[in-house]
Amino acid sequence: MTKNRLVSLVATVGIVAASLVAFTPAANAACSGKLKIAYQGPLTGPEAALGLNELNGVKFALKKFLKANPKANVDATVYEVDDQGDPAVAGPIAPKVAAEECVVALVGPAYSGASKVSLPIYLSAGLPIITPSATNPTLPTFGKEIFHRAVLTDDYQGPAAARLIVSKNKKAKVFLVNDASDYAVGLQKTVDISLGSRVVGKDVTPNGTTDFTATIAKIKRSKATAVFYSGYFSQAAVFVKQLRDSGSKIVFASGDGTLDNQFVKLARKSAEGSLLTAPAIPFETASPALAKEMVAAGWTPGVYTTESFDAANFFFEAIKAGNTDRASINKYVSTKSFKGLSKTLKFDAEGEVSGADVNGFIIKKGKIVLLGAIK
Amino acid sequence: MDFALLRDAFWGLTFDGLALGAIYALISLGYTLVYGVLRLINFAHSEVFMIGTFASLVASGIMGVKVEDDPRTGWKMVLTLLVCLLFSMAASAITAVLVEIVAYRRLRQRGATKLATLISAIGVSISLVELFRIITDSLPREFPRIMDKTFLFSYAGADIRNDKVIVIVAAGVMMFALERFISKSRYGKGIRAVSMDETTATLMGVNINRVITVTFLAGGLMAGAAAFFYILTYENTSFKVGFFLGISAFTAAVLGGIGNLKGALFGGFMLGILETYTSAVFGTAWKAVISFSILVLVLLIKPTGLFGESIQQARV
Repeated sequence: MTKNRLVSLVATVGIVAASLVAFTPAANAACSGKLKIAYQGPLTGPEAALGLNELNGVKFALKKFLKANPKANVDATVYEVDDQGDPAVAGPIAPKVAAEECVVALVGPAYSGASKVSLPIYLSAGLPIITPSATNPTLPTFGKEIFHRAVLTDDYQGPAAARLIVSKNKKAKVFLVNDASDYAVGLQKTVDISLGSRVVGKDVTPNGTTDFTATIAKIKRSKATAVFYSGYFSQAAVFVKQLRDSGSKIVFASGDGTLDNQFVKLARKSAEGSLLTAPAIPFETASPALAKEMVAAGWTPGVYTTESFDAANFFFEAIKAGNTDRASINKYVSTKSFKGLSKTLKFDAEGEVSGADVNGFIIKKGKIVLLGAIK
Repeated sequence: MDFALLRDAFWGLTFDGLALGAIYALISLGYTLVYGVLRLINFAHSEVFMIGTFASLVASGIMGVKVEDDPRTGWKMVLTLLVCLLFSMAASAITAVLVEIVAYRRLRQRGATKLATLISAIGVSISLVELFRIITDSLPREFPRIMDKTFLFSYAGADIRNDKVIVIVAAGVMMFALERFISKSRYGKGIRAVSMDETTATLMGVNINRVITVTFLAGGLMAGAAAFFYILTYENTSFKVGFFLGISAFTAAVLGGIGNLKGALFGGFMLGILETYTSAVFGTAWKAVISFSILVLVLLIKPTGLFGESIQQARV
């Protein structure tokens, strides 16, 4: 009996040890097949629209790269990582991605919360990442040397939005509305600080609000000349429509969460004249010809498609230069620069892009028109 | 806290609250009817509503209305509005009946526990939401403007808009029709009989299955009407539209006394107005906190809701 127990104990320990060895991701494991580029972001769930915009950019970049370099040792499909934009989902997935030895680079994660849990895992596996849209300023502390960001952080967008509103009306009085999400609250805070005494009122309309009657009554009573909405396009469209239907003609301004053709599509005439800001640039504006080609290939561009396209192309540039493992690709993107559609990607020691601008946009005749960099 | 806003814009807020409440009331009738007859919370009812909004969208397409078109006028507008309304009501009613046949009937006939039926209801709800999420690519859909939105008149600072007047009046007509149906018609009598005592009703020759089908049908028709009024006012929908409205409507039903038609009506209007007032005074973020606290308070004082439970008590 005792002997049997001892045998089973030894066997159990052995199995556990063996499985530990088998499942620990090896940082320098060699890839025997084709190299893979991964994309991580929300691909299902309510946030899926944004993730699909980005994935389409990566897919389009891959297709173009393989067409130009048919002999490249790169897999023709993007390795898709669906974190639903949720840290709780991203946590268990990231180790699997890190253990996939042929994945040599990752575009993403799309969201800041999911990035915070994924980055330490990618750091220990040496997997280089370029995020096209996670804008939380603290991310470099989580990803250190493997972290790169193709857009400016929220620290820049808020003040730029404030400058844009004031540039249109020197005596602007602004009412602030946010949808209570992490992103919206953070962005509104920076807008609030920059506008200072120009802020005449605030309201929070949590994501899912369909009726804005009370908020609009408040705006009218505050005598504001402009409203800044911090949140995402679908609710922004509902809001601006109700605002216009109430007879109000004040300026409507919003951030990158609203910069999406869907916003114009949903709000239609009510969207006219809306001022938007984003550290991003729409694909159609960045390159009308490529946008046409992309649509013909079956992918619709949206917000952050351009930045994802650029991020993927920087990785392909590294592979083209003869880098075939995570470490050398990381070194390449960290030290070299790449002229993308949105901007020249040149990362500083923190992995932040330098020399980039926050762009201003206006909705005119149902189109998002670039006003240029906000000075 | 901004009581001054409530004072200054009182009539405007009340009017808008009534329009929102009319939609809540129409949806909550479905919850109440089903509960009255089956003692079951039909969790899939919010998706019956959601499908109604998409049906309006399809109907507008069939009528040749495009999103970029100018609003219609004259008889063309009336016809388009009516077709959308009927389409929504039909789609929601069919969905409601199908849900009953697929998810509840067999369970009921085999004497399954209430818990199993409840889980089945939640299951149907989730699968319908996910189905529409896939069909719509997770994106919200816009509804064309069929009718120009204009202010009819101003009363004490409140601008009275035509679409909201239509919603309030039409919802009132629907509710009146339903009330007449339940209290006067043969099937209405059957519904009341089953809600009083299922076994006795069966012994008296009431066809239970048919009565239940009619109950779901009536609830579905009301939810379909609510769906049309919702999409007419807010002009967009998405796969998740049923969730928040469903919870609010369910709350309205409980507030008035679940299983009680008058209660559902009153609860719906009361919740609509209450939400609008609390949003104005405390900020929109506090809407749910205050409204639901009031719900808890009402239930603490009157556990069966303001009008008490069950359909037979609502008899006129």
